[in-house]
Amino acid sequence: MNVIEIKNLTKNYMKSRGVVDVNLNIEEGEVFGFIGPNGAGKSTTIRTLLGLIYPTSGTATIFGKNCIEHPEVRKELGYLPSEVFYYDNMRVMDLLKYSASFYKKDCTKRIHELAEVMDLDLKKKIDDLSFGNKKKVGIVQGLLHEPKLIILDEPTSGLDPLMQQKFFDLIAMENKKGATIFFSSHILSEVQKMCSRVAFIKEGKIIKTEKMSTLQENSYKRFMLEGKTGIDKDKFNINGVSNFVIKDNTASFIFKGNINTIMKSISDIELRNISIEEPDLEEIFMHYYAKEENSSLNPKEDNSSSNPKED
Amino acid sequence: MNIFLYELKSLRKSMLLWTVSLLALAALYLSIFPSMAKDAEEFKQLLGSYPEAIRAMLGINLDYITSLLGFYSMIFTFIILCGAIQAMNLGVSILSKESRERTADFLLVKPVSRSFIVNAKLLAAIVTIVITNILFIGLSTLFVTLENTQNFDLKLFIMINLTMFFVQLIFIAIGMLVSVFFKKIKNVLPLSLGFVFGFYLIGTLLVTDHDNKMERMISPFKYFDITYIINNGSYETLYLLVSAVIVVAAIAISYVIYNRKDIHGVS
Repeated sequence: MNVIEIKNLTKNYMKSRGVVDVNLNIEEGEVFGFIGPNGAGKSTTIRTLLGLIYPTSGTATIFGKNCIEHPEVRKELGYLPSEVFYYDNMRVMDLLKYSASFYKKDCTKRIHELAEVMDLDLKKKIDDLSFGNKKKVGIVQGLLHEPKLIILDEPTSGLDPLMQQKFFDLIAMENKKGATIFFSSHILSEVQKMCSRVAFIKEGKIIKTEKMSTLQENSYKRFMLEGKTGIDKDKFNINGVSNFVIKDNTASFIFKGNINTIMKSISDIELRNISIEEPDLEEIFMHYYAKEENSSLNPKEDNSSSNPKED
Repeated sequence: MNIFLYELKSLRKSMLLWTVSLLALAALYLSIFPSMAKDAEEFKQLLGSYPEAIRAMLGINLDYITSLLGFYSMIFTFIILCGAIQAMNLGVSILSKESRERTADFLLVKPVSRSFIVNAKLLAAIVTIVITNILFIGLSTLFVTLENTQNFDLKLFIMINLTMFFVQLIFIAIGMLVSVFFKKIKNVLPLSLGFVFGFYLIGTLLVTDHDNKMERMISPFKYFDITYIINNGSYETLYLLVSAVIVVAAIAISYVIYNRKDIHGVS
């Protein structure tokens, strides 16, 4: 069953770009990562899904229902926004109880459990909390009713590494219990750690949706060559080569495709050294989203510059 | 119910503050009355020397000024003005505070519809106004009974006081309607002061002819002519109707717009 279904979702803002024709299906029990730079449309997509903003066209549903027409489906939803703000003059416990009162079940025990894990003082006033501690309130608030769908928008900002780890453990546990996790980030390593599938969004459009395993295994290799003499960059004018950087006698690039093709090209070069590694997601991802002028030169677009930009 | 109770609780302090201020204002003016009633003729002369326009603006009616109700109707102009500010504040802030305090991401993803949220908040605002009025009418009546030496008609006194409630309802509705058009209202007070004083000035400066029914429609402050109430012992049906139409229409439009509004994130 698809817990989240987004079909041809387009949102235009008056001035700025929203999202264009986004399609996503997320199955029950998945941990789905939603990756893109700031301003790419991650939050717009999530807010439409939650029923906070209206789509210009297309649909976004959770558990098969639209949040605006059927607000009650949000009973099974836990949401953690990227920046959390609560009623300042409330105490943490009162806020959590207020939150729990919307779900019509007793969450007191669960609140105490979560607060203990996250090391959160329930007696403090919200106003007196640091940013990180407010975030913790947000986490407890999002999980206290044991939702079946957890949506996280840049969840780790403001948490120290120890808390991040605890948070991810919590999320992993919820996932084990059957919760579906949809989580947006521009930090790739945290997505890499958790997600089973990932979608890349750039300038309002989904560029690619892929299984994490395919992304990591699939013949993406990072090559580093050191030649005895200069390396002829024309040799690497091959389909599948990207992020090509050449400096003096060394060259590095990412290759996706049949290894044999690239090996043949390399075999012509007098090498001093070579290393072939698994690229991390960041490098694969840069391949998708880096803007032309920031990325290293792709040999196909490289005309004559003798001093290619470096990363 | 939970939203309603939460809102009511969060409005408690400001409600008490407003009620106390309104009462203090009323008490201050009313305490002048006994000494003024003694020197009624001189006082009339003094006020008579004011230009007509100023008298109109201050709500002074020479024929009634020396009777308790007449005097009260004059000072009540200011009380009603304050009451209108309280109500407009409430109306403007009740929905917009979720955006201002950035708590919309909390409340609006709860498993309740936006209409449900508006119901609860509107109800809390109205209950706040009702409590304010009960306290105000109760305590001001007590004050007048204790302080005053003159006989006065209690029913008329309460009827005059009730007009504040009607005006407040109108301003809650107008405030809510205004607020839903804004993406985010950083500061409520300037907006509500602007609207209330705007209507007040329009009412006093432009609407000089009390028989011109159309002109009076422009300002809610002119819907309840206290002289009429004193003379007839009733409200003007036309303006009760106009008030009701404004309240219902403004609230209905607010619902429609708020339900279709995009709630933007923090940025």
